[in-house]
Amino acid sequence: MEIYSTDDIIYALATPWGTGALSVIRVSGQGCIDMLSSVFKSRKKLTSVSSGTAVYGSLVNGKDIIDNCIATVWKDGHGYTGEDAVELSCHGGLQTVEAVLEFLPTLGMRQASRGEFSLRAFLHGKMDLTRAEAVRELIDSRSESARATALGRLEGNLEKQIRAVRDDILNVMGTVEVQLDYAEDETEPDIEFPVQTVRTAVESLNAIRATYRTGKLYGQGARIVLAGAVNAGKSSLFNRMLREERSIVSSREGTTRDFIEAQCVIDGIPVRLYDTAGLRDSSDDIEEEGIRRSRLLFEQADVILWLADPQNPVRDSAIENDPRCICVATKSDVSDKDIEGFLSFSSVTGKGYDELCRAISAKLREGLPPVPEGTLVIQSARQKECLDRACQALEETLEHVEEGLSLDIVSIDIREALDALGELTGEVTTDDILENIFSNFCVGK
Amino acid sequence: MDYDVIVIGGGHAGIEACLACARTGFRTLLVTQSLDAIGRLSCNPAVGGLAKGNLVREVDALGGQMGLLIDATMIQFRMLNKSRGPAVQCPRAQADKFSYSRLAKETLEKQENLNLFMDTVTDLLTDEEKKTVLGVKTQRGHVISSKAVVLTTGTFMNGRIFIGEYDHSAGRLGEEAALGLGDRLRELGFNVGRLKTGTPARIRFSSLDTDRMERQDGDEEIVPFSFTHDSIERRQIPCWITYTNEKTHKIILDNIGRSPLYGGKIVGRGPRYCPSIEDKVMRFRDRDRHQVFVEPEGTGTEEMYLNGLSSSLPEEVQADFIHSIRGLENAVIMRPGYAVEYDYLDPLQLKNSLESKVLENLFVAGQTNGTSGYEEAACQGLMAGINACLKLMGRSPLVLDRTEAYIGVLIDDLVTKGTKEPYRMFTSRAEYRLNLRHDNADERLTQKGYDAGLATGERLEKLREKARGVEELQELLRHRGYESKNALEALKRPEVNLDLMAQSIEEIKNFTPSVRLETELKVKYEGYIKRQDKQVERFKNLEKIVIPADFDWDRVDGISTESREKFKTVRPESLGQASRISGVRASDITVLLAYLRH
Repeated sequence: MEIYSTDDIIYALATPWGTGALSVIRVSGQGCIDMLSSVFKSRKKLTSVSSGTAVYGSLVNGKDIIDNCIATVWKDGHGYTGEDAVELSCHGGLQTVEAVLEFLPTLGMRQASRGEFSLRAFLHGKMDLTRAEAVRELIDSRSESARATALGRLEGNLEKQIRAVRDDILNVMGTVEVQLDYAEDETEPDIEFPVQTVRTAVESLNAIRATYRTGKLYGQGARIVLAGAVNAGKSSLFNRMLREERSIVSSREGTTRDFIEAQCVIDGIPVRLYDTAGLRDSSDDIEEEGIRRSRLLFEQADVILWLADPQNPVRDSAIENDPRCICVATKSDVSDKDIEGFLSFSSVTGKGYDELCRAISAKLREGLPPVPEGTLVIQSARQKECLDRACQALEETLEHVEEGLSLDIVSIDIREALDALGELTGEVTTDDILENIFSNFCVGK
Repeated sequence: MDYDVIVIGGGHAGIEACLACARTGFRTLLVTQSLDAIGRLSCNPAVGGLAKGNLVREVDALGGQMGLLIDATMIQFRMLNKSRGPAVQCPRAQADKFSYSRLAKETLEKQENLNLFMDTVTDLLTDEEKKTVLGVKTQRGHVISSKAVVLTTGTFMNGRIFIGEYDHSAGRLGEEAALGLGDRLRELGFNVGRLKTGTPARIRFSSLDTDRMERQDGDEEIVPFSFTHDSIERRQIPCWITYTNEKTHKIILDNIGRSPLYGGKIVGRGPRYCPSIEDKVMRFRDRDRHQVFVEPEGTGTEEMYLNGLSSSLPEEVQADFIHSIRGLENAVIMRPGYAVEYDYLDPLQLKNSLESKVLENLFVAGQTNGTSGYEEAACQGLMAGINACLKLMGRSPLVLDRTEAYIGVLIDDLVTKGTKEPYRMFTSRAEYRLNLRHDNADERLTQKGYDAGLATGERLEKLREKARGVEELQELLRHRGYESKNALEALKRPEVNLDLMAQSIEEIKNFTPSVRLETELKVKYEGYIKRQDKQVERFKNLEKIVIPADFDWDRVDGISTESREKFKTVRPESLGQASRISGVRASDITVLLAYLRH
């Protein structure tokens, strides 16, 4: 477990890193209002206004104005984290944001680690675990689709559905426990094990589990690797994609013959795009290293775009036959030649680009169960793991009932399922079980 | 100092408490309102039952008395829930009430270091700061000093009984309530609440038509409650089963307004698990019948107990609905059913040693702590007695945790969560019930009882003998075949048991029943027990993080206000206990963990 210190002042950019109308920088920690007040020139001092007030002013470094911005002050534990906090709404634009972010640590603050604001909110009782997680995902997610499902979580959609299953299982537990807590002669003689209820619960959980891959795709995104021989047109396609999809976040260049990486969004799916070194045998050590890394990227890719120039096609049957591969014939503006089974595309005219995007999107969604509009989708590995455990325990329950094992053993399986679901919806206590027994069964001599 | 320990009350808690103290060598006085009522089974004439039977065997394993008393006085024995699995099977015995009570008194009289005295305690002696108990004052003016006091007042503290419109100050029908003490405890800072319980009418056996009822006999084989002997021979007599009907329910519904419970006279909460017949009829309207057990109160009496018909309706209504039941048409009522309301002390004011947080050296046990049941009372009495002695010896208390005993579950629940209704033990309250079986109570507890100075050396030797037997039997099975398989492996199959195996492996018969049972369960449930052991380990890790007694809860930043208040009320002694307080948030436990760690 990573241990954070919680007694110092932290700051972080709260909005995405990029160009927008506004950028919000959040500062939290006891004493942060005092600290900022001394460098924030405004008509009312930050220290003198009441909690929740927005103050217009200038953030200054000595005589230099860094930015004219609005500071919203949170006092007496009303901030997001439950600590004193200030939110600076600055002008958008990377230069301004960078200037502010460089200035703040000179005051004695510390850049927040990932998730640290949520952790503080959690530690101060401002947020429970599922909400904390959803907020984290909200922050992490880079696309509109992902944001929509993350919001669904906050509204408690996921919890509602899982809670319904949990309540059913609690009833099953009740029918088992009543027989373990009361003697044969004190209960109705034949309480049948509610096999059907358990089966239905497994089905419901499976349906929720199945959305995990979809959730992961929209939340964490996909890796697309461009591959092909030297001069196959990879860089042209790469640049075209970056130009077409305006939501570029960053791009960086590796060593000359390594690979280039960029982020964009295709059909709502956040994508990490890799332009690799050309594949060919080489005696050049550096290039060999580049090719080795390309191979590594291939292994981790969700989609491989294999490019070939129809006038001089270099083919690779191993890659082309890979189920993740989409084959693209480039430079369709130069000649009319096609390659059979290849999509045709021109980076100069952009012809074929929409088809290519559709093909990529279709490939990424391949095998994913359809998720109807408005259905919640799970994204977190922890939630998935809990649901997996619950399902497994319920399947064991059914097996053990089938085998005729005694109820004291069966109850262990059900308990495990309840515990797993309880991690998502709140613990199931023995009092809950007894309450269930007393309200559903007339027991006691 | 007149005595080392004074025990107030001669019920099932008081018996265990005073015996534990006297046997450990402390000069002990038992003060009781009636020497004729020691060990009285005020309600149903049975000891044991699910989870409760485990408590009796745990009491015995620690060196207590209850197992021996019931073994010597039972008139029917049944092993319950055999079909539902060994972890929840449990012994229950019908008792001859009169023999049980007489034997209890005889046992106390024979005990060295123990005096019995009949009087009613009305006040506690304390030091000037009212922080430490120093003895008792009685109704007849006796002032008796002692180093420690164990309080076990049952239903007697400000007890009031109700039968329809009639109500009277009493702890049991015909026995005066203990007045005064409850008020004094309130003044001393105890949180005193009211609880309610009830009992059915007793009817005359010769007025029953047993041909119109089902007969319920005991098991052929009796498994003793006590680990000190392997088998007992007792003559068994039957119980009878009949059912209420629509007519019964109509009579009850027509008169429900005359019930002190529904009429609002009784304020104390009653137990949901043991509802009166009027509760059952009101709450489960769709049920067309409820089961009634007609149980003998003893061998030397005609009184029969109507289990399932507990009621506080007026006597003539009770008579009417009893007579509407098959087999009971001409029943002669000897004692009416009634409800009793009494004072109990909030168990949140107790440490897990059962010592009061309000008054040092005062230990509290039994119904006074909000529980219900003879077995629940006995085990607390025993622990209170043991811990009073350990305190006087300057030793640390014997605290059983939730993984070690149902007793541990019971006390931890009481002192951590408190209770709003009479608390009864259930197997589902125990997270680790596979390990808390009745058959291995000796393995779990006898050494601890011995270390506390209570369980005798013979008990320990008997335990070792059993352990050797279990080893030897497993060794035997390891080297034998059964149905073309290794016998030890074959035993794991659900349909195989040692009795079956004994038909082809003769030597199995040489082992005692207790060795055979223990071995069978060990082998059959090995996988599950191992799994549980892992959970036990995780549990113990949290228990090990101790919270100091003088911990300043206001200094921990980041705990929610509700949780902080709860922590301050319960004052948990470990992080594990803190995590079990109802309504405490997981996030607050995380904060607390972080705080305790650095």
